[in-house]
Amino acid sequence: MSIHLEGKTIPEHLKEARKKGSHASSEIHGAEPPGYLFAATDSAKETALIMAVITLIMPESLHLFLLFLPGWCIWKFARSSFLGWQRLQRVHRLIEEERWEIEHHRATEKEELMELYRLKGFSGKMLEEVVEVLMADDNRLLQVMLEEELGLTLETYEHPLKQGVGAFLGTLFSGGILLLLLYFFGLWGLLSGTLLIVAISSAIFTKNERNKISAAVTWNIAFLILVAAITYFMPFR
Amino acid sequence: MTYIFDEFFASGLEESVSPFLMKNSRPWGKNLHLKSALFSAGLLLLAFGTFFHYTPLSYFLLSFVYFFAGTPALIDTIEDLKNWEINIDTLMTLAAFLAILIGSPLEGALLLVLFALSGALEEAVSHKTKNTLLSLHKISPVIATILDDKGIPFQKAIRDIKIGEKILVRAGEIVPLDGIVVDGSSSVNMIHLTGESTPVPKMISNEVQAGSRNLDGVLIVSVNRLSHESTLSRIITLITQAQEAKPKLERFLDRFGKPYAMTIIGLSLLFGVGLPLVFPLSYFGLEGSIYRSLAFLIAASPCALIIATPTAYLSAINACAKKGIILKGGVILDALASCSMFAFDKTGTLTTGELKCTGIEAIGESSPYSIDLALSIAASLERNAVHPLGLAITEYAKEKGVPLIPVDRFHSKPGFGLEGVVEVEKKRIPVFIGHAEYISSLFPIPETALTRHGPSTYLLIDRSLFAFDFLDALRPNVKEALKMLKEKHLSLIMLTGDNEANAKRFGKEIELHEIYANLRPQDKLEKISSLTQSHRLTMVGDGINDAPALARAHVGISMGKIGSSTAVDASDIVFLNDDLSLLPWLYRKACQTSRIVRQNVSLALGVILFATTPALLGLIPLWLAVTLHEGGTLIVGLNSLRLLKK
Repeated sequence: MSIHLEGKTIPEHLKEARKKGSHASSEIHGAEPPGYLFAATDSAKETALIMAVITLIMPESLHLFLLFLPGWCIWKFARSSFLGWQRLQRVHRLIEEERWEIEHHRATEKEELMELYRLKGFSGKMLEEVVEVLMADDNRLLQVMLEEELGLTLETYEHPLKQGVGAFLGTLFSGGILLLLLYFFGLWGLLSGTLLIVAISSAIFTKNERNKISAAVTWNIAFLILVAAITYFMPFR
Repeated sequence: MTYIFDEFFASGLEESVSPFLMKNSRPWGKNLHLKSALFSAGLLLLAFGTFFHYTPLSYFLLSFVYFFAGTPALIDTIEDLKNWEINIDTLMTLAAFLAILIGSPLEGALLLVLFALSGALEEAVSHKTKNTLLSLHKISPVIATILDDKGIPFQKAIRDIKIGEKILVRAGEIVPLDGIVVDGSSSVNMIHLTGESTPVPKMISNEVQAGSRNLDGVLIVSVNRLSHESTLSRIITLITQAQEAKPKLERFLDRFGKPYAMTIIGLSLLFGVGLPLVFPLSYFGLEGSIYRSLAFLIAASPCALIIATPTAYLSAINACAKKGIILKGGVILDALASCSMFAFDKTGTLTTGELKCTGIEAIGESSPYSIDLALSIAASLERNAVHPLGLAITEYAKEKGVPLIPVDRFHSKPGFGLEGVVEVEKKRIPVFIGHAEYISSLFPIPETALTRHGPSTYLLIDRSLFAFDFLDALRPNVKEALKMLKEKHLSLIMLTGDNEANAKRFGKEIELHEIYANLRPQDKLEKISSLTQSHRLTMVGDGINDAPALARAHVGISMGKIGSSTAVDASDIVFLNDDLSLLPWLYRKACQTSRIVRQNVSLALGVILFATTPALLGLIPLWLAVTLHEGGTLIVGLNSLRLLKK
């Protein structure tokens, strides 16, 4: 048994490798649609929620928000970009590892490929020929192993900075609107604005995910009300 | 469609070419360091502008500058310190951050921005170099067409091919593995292996080497060496060994920077701890020893020192790029300037590697056919040639202005020659053209002709024999270039795989100091290894066989057009247009760069000695110190810009 397999059988190894790949490829916030869009809508919702909760605790919070928001925007931008970069580094490490395996454990890679295509229904000479053709070109082999073994998909991610800019704009947009509402209409203005921002953000993202918009919007507003109620009715407040 | 990962891996996993990012998202990752440095520079200017009017805004902006320019510098410094390495970069970063403690964040930020800008520019230039070199042709095949038991072709990775398997090599393809021809005939040349373009006929039972180019026919080759044992692989192993043995190149500033940084940091610590023990000073406060030691450390890290080398290297690299010379880093210029010996490969480097037909001669008794008619017949036979000798003949006929005539019953015998029937004075005459072996099987070639003309190309018209002469032409202006190098008291030698007689005749013609002939790749490497013990040496070559020597020499220069990708990879400098006449210019530029770097560093140290330190001691007024400091930085920058001149 090769060291590369670490005592596992080929099917077990493939299962684990796929899990590793899908984990690496999953969107940092737990969803797949465009990273920048999710980062923007999620940041808008989060900012609205934080501002609503703080205002419920401290109604005179306009000055506090003026000081808090610029730093918060930068934080959201930096955090989102940084997480994106971490993910990119992780998949880059995986591709390098896979290339190394192709170069140094060619026989095992061939066995893995055989197993993958056997599971797809190939057998006998056909299976051998398919594997031989895939093994002929290192670029092709690497792509197949990334996609089939690790479950990674090429050319699907946004650049981390683009995602960061999404988060920044979402925070800025949400925070700015709520500040204006708080300034002109007070607490109720801010709370209505929060509801609206959460609803719109949820609707935009859900539309992109092609899920049911009404259900998603209702769930998100329900979460918001629950959080607000917990804060407002907390016995020791 | 198969994704090509080569650029991504060659770039060192650059995110701007990441295979995982969407194509429209990749530009976001391009030159990020440079963009960040420029952004920091803009904010720093704003911070300067607002400092005297509204200091809090200036500090607000400076926190961004420290974030964008300071964080990467700090990460690098921590890495250096983890490896127990203290260099000029460590000193600069330390000075920049400690400047905050003594209330001079603007000066610290300036250091960081200059540091980030110079680093980012160097990175951008080297990235551009990598891209240029990546676009050059690649010759090492990774896939071969294998014939199975039934003769059905399929593709296989050359690493998986076993001894005895049969490879199909079509015309124009590179032979992927060493083997024996078992079917077919053709001509191959070794231009990528040795720079030699003269075709060598290959027929059944002949051995062919991996890396040779199949010119005309189809060959079926039985593999007799595995990929890791092939000629190509053995040379690549030699290159790896040579690269490991290559003397480590150091920038002048690195040599000077390490002891300088250690001294300054050591002195600062000594002042901080020791001054109160000797003088009536306290440790803390504006007059305290800690404050003074920090001020000393910052004063000893002037901006002029940061930009002293990168601006000079970048200007020189830019000037070289405009001439079609690609440098893999500025440090190469220092190494080139220190070389006292230049070693040249012959074919493809000093010569063009392209064969030129120099004449046609009738052999034996007087022929009924004129030379012009013979040339016309030869060019008519070769009119569709892909063979370099055929191309040279058609080119020669064009130069001489001889007309082409119709050829009947044309037949090509790959690896042998061509035949056909032409009509001369209303008579139909069989004509044949090909190498000596082929023609002599049809009509005996006198021994004297073979000695005089070698195995090149013969034309047979009925029973009249003609021979063509070819020459691998010397590159234009090579003689003048070598003469200019000799005037610089450089020792010039030639290392070639060619035979001794040819090599000596050629070496004499171009007046080289020493000639070494009959050298295989490992012989060239051994020669270079022994010469580098006593000389700083530059090797100039083009073929794969030169690659180990290119990698081992202090500086390797390769030819971008004719050169193989292996030679280009192994070298430090690439002449994109194969223009060897630029060599003296490049050597002068390297010497000038080295001189300017030294001038810059001396000037920066002068600023520390005669302006900043005396100002700290109160010997000269602060305004004078500031003027000299900024003036010094400006002069260093302008001095480097002189290298931009072509």
